[in-house]
Amino acid sequence: MKNLKKILVCKIALLMVLILLGPASFSAQAQVDEIRIADGKGDWGYPNPYRHYPRGPGYVRMSWVFDTLVWKDEKGYTPALAKSWTYNPDTLSFTFELNESVKWHDGNPFSSSDVVFTVEYFKKHPYKWVPMGDVSGAEAVGPNKVIIRLTKPYAPFLAYVGGVMPILPKHIWQNVKDPKKYNDPKCFIGTGPYKFVDFNKAKGTYLYEAFENYYQGKPLANRLIYIKAGKPLMTLSTGKVDLANIKPDMAETLKKKGMIILKNARGWNKKLMINHKIAPFNDKRFRQALAHAINQQEIINKAHRGFGYPASFGLLSPDHEFYNPNTPTYAPDPAKARQILESLGYMKDPQGYYSKDGQPLKVEVLSSNITVAGESVADRDGEVIKRQLEAAGIRVDLLHLEQATTDAKVKKWDFNLAISGHGGLLGDARILNRMINPKVTGSVNSARFGANKKLLKLLKDQVAQMDVEKRKAIVFRIQEIYADEVPAISLYYPASMAAYNPKKGINWYYTKGGIGLGIPISQNKMSLVK
Amino acid sequence: MNANSIHFTPRRLGLIITFSLAALAMIYLSYSLPRLLPGDFVTAMYASSPVTLSAEQEAELRAFYTQPPDFYNYLVKLVKFDWGYSYAFLTPVSALFLEALPWTLLLLGTAHIISISIGFIAGVEASWRQDSRIEKGFVGGMTLLEGIPEISTGVILLVIFALNLQWFPAAGAETAYAKVSFWAWVADVCHHLALPLATLVLAYIPGNFLLARNSMIMVIKAPFITTARAKGLPSRRIRYAHAARNALLPLVTRFGLRLAFMITGVLVVERIHSYPGLGTLLFNAIQARDLPVIQAVVLISSLMVLAIILALELVYRIIDPRIEYER
Repeated sequence: MKNLKKILVCKIALLMVLILLGPASFSAQAQVDEIRIADGKGDWGYPNPYRHYPRGPGYVRMSWVFDTLVWKDEKGYTPALAKSWTYNPDTLSFTFELNESVKWHDGNPFSSSDVVFTVEYFKKHPYKWVPMGDVSGAEAVGPNKVIIRLTKPYAPFLAYVGGVMPILPKHIWQNVKDPKKYNDPKCFIGTGPYKFVDFNKAKGTYLYEAFENYYQGKPLANRLIYIKAGKPLMTLSTGKVDLANIKPDMAETLKKKGMIILKNARGWNKKLMINHKIAPFNDKRFRQALAHAINQQEIINKAHRGFGYPASFGLLSPDHEFYNPNTPTYAPDPAKARQILESLGYMKDPQGYYSKDGQPLKVEVLSSNITVAGESVADRDGEVIKRQLEAAGIRVDLLHLEQATTDAKVKKWDFNLAISGHGGLLGDARILNRMINPKVTGSVNSARFGANKKLLKLLKDQVAQMDVEKRKAIVFRIQEIYADEVPAISLYYPASMAAYNPKKGINWYYTKGGIGLGIPISQNKMSLVK
Repeated sequence: MNANSIHFTPRRLGLIITFSLAALAMIYLSYSLPRLLPGDFVTAMYASSPVTLSAEQEAELRAFYTQPPDFYNYLVKLVKFDWGYSYAFLTPVSALFLEALPWTLLLLGTAHIISISIGFIAGVEASWRQDSRIEKGFVGGMTLLEGIPEISTGVILLVIFALNLQWFPAAGAETAYAKVSFWAWVADVCHHLALPLATLVLAYIPGNFLLARNSMIMVIKAPFITTARAKGLPSRRIRYAHAARNALLPLVTRFGLRLAFMITGVLVVERIHSYPGLGTLLFNAIQARDLPVIQAVVLISSLMVLAIILALELVYRIIDPRIEYER
């Protein structure tokens, strides 16, 4: 009888515990009917490698459908189509052991020949997200093993190829001559956790359905829907969406409504581009004077209500594992800026502005509304920077331009100073090459600075250095030189946040190093798997 | 409609020829002006992306996405209803246009019908009660409302009815991919339409009201109204059958012109409410420098202005037989 009582008490206690914890613990892995994600812009192109827009959200739309050899989650690299991988320095090759149970969305089995085909296809028809210049080829060693060979040591291989390259089905793409014009429904067949169902261009909506036979298990939501909605506070509060990027000042309100707030690491920077090809900006000392004239914290306080962090002058984020804490810095000091300008021969006029040889020192600043995660923001940085430069004796013409116009002018070097921005500061250190190397032609965020030969050599060396510690040392030195040269000024990292409704039981997160090439968006497909 | 009203006299033919020449000029402008926008599709798409392009890749993309200037070819294609392919979606522009058009027509058409009906009736009734408190109150209120831009009304309505009361959705034209019956879908579309529609109706009513009232004030002073009163006709009949009909003309003109400017007219409201109409299509196309889409939307909207003005010229006489083109 006593035992029966004990058992009864235990059962009741257990029941109580289950009732209290039950909803949370069970719902964490429960199957949900659908997940809705809001996006301010809506359309990011069709989700296949050749037809998505070349910005981060376009890649993310594609990543639900197409899997890569390896992937990243909140902790770093994780197996995907490849179960494991090794690097052989003698043969300059990566060997990938592939998962045996992978199927394409049309039911065909996946094999190493698809990987070999993809490598060859991307070499022939470049997919701009995956630079294949350092890949010499691929070879299938049995159905589930593939070797990818390099032309030379290439440290960012996993970050730029293995972890980014969507694998295409050979049986579908082998006869496609022009991938940009290929718009058969089969062009959306991948191995990813979701099958593409619809994209409405006018409404900016996407519909995906869970792939039942996904090799990592059926995804947690049966349907995944993207909707276009520029007001995350309203759409999240009213339950119309489950996940959205938010502005930092919405966080408290949404937290009170039961939402979980995600804060991203500092991976996206607003940057002041400098036209260092023309005088007076081609003089390092002048650029250093500009750096002293600018007060990063004041921009954050006045233009962003304090939501942001001053940026490193060495470009890499302080949250990056290769960040050099001894990177030179420029204290906000208008007096010091004036002192440098006077040492360069500038004379102060009665109004406090400088001129040289009878020519007033006047610069044009282009501003734009670019911000993190493909969203746009009202630009107020330009106003603050104008005041700061004027306080240092530099006259400023501030031009507010639409983004594409600013980009076009920067690209053609038709500017003095321009406010721009980019992410990727938490991903592989190859970002330094992309943002400094003068050979980069397509980007308007790159400083394209070739005046310091030592810097260029170090950039070349760091991507070829496979030893992590040696590479880190090179990257440290790059940051020091970059900060000393100031070919562009990183201004601040805006506070980047997302919010989600925990009721669906999905745990969203920001990916370590960002999705793919470093996309700072909290929509990692692994959140809906496992 | 009598046969006389659609008879094409030399003067009317001249009018049509003039309009055709204007249309040709507009086609040329819609072809050439978007080309003058600074920047191009490749820069707009790739410049701020994480993608690094080599010089060759950039040149190859630019060759793919740039059309050599050839107005004659453009004109020939236009006649064949070939508006080209969108750079961004690599799909025909006509498909994009036809996807967006119904939503704009639904929003704008409904807004006009409601605002003209309410504005007209309120204008007629107010003018009939000239100098009364009701009339003064109406005129004051409507003048105030006329001064509030759509952007403010839209945001205020969103904050009250979407965020706080949560009666209406904040964005979109329907619940995307909802698994519902046809009638539930219609109800959902109406539910989403409510706030953008209310924004436009509130923006359009004051103009219609003030115009109808002013026209009526002029008309009710006319001798035929005095005659009608003297004949002892019922007040409502005098107001609507005699007076209001004659006050209709300016409203028809206003309706036509508003409809003609439908793309730019609803752009702000479509943006605030993330409504998928032609305004949004044009806005996105300009941002991306998607030249074929910009050209098509600008062309259609310009031609629509012309067509509606021409149609108005032709229907004026049906509405008001006193108008004579021959004299």
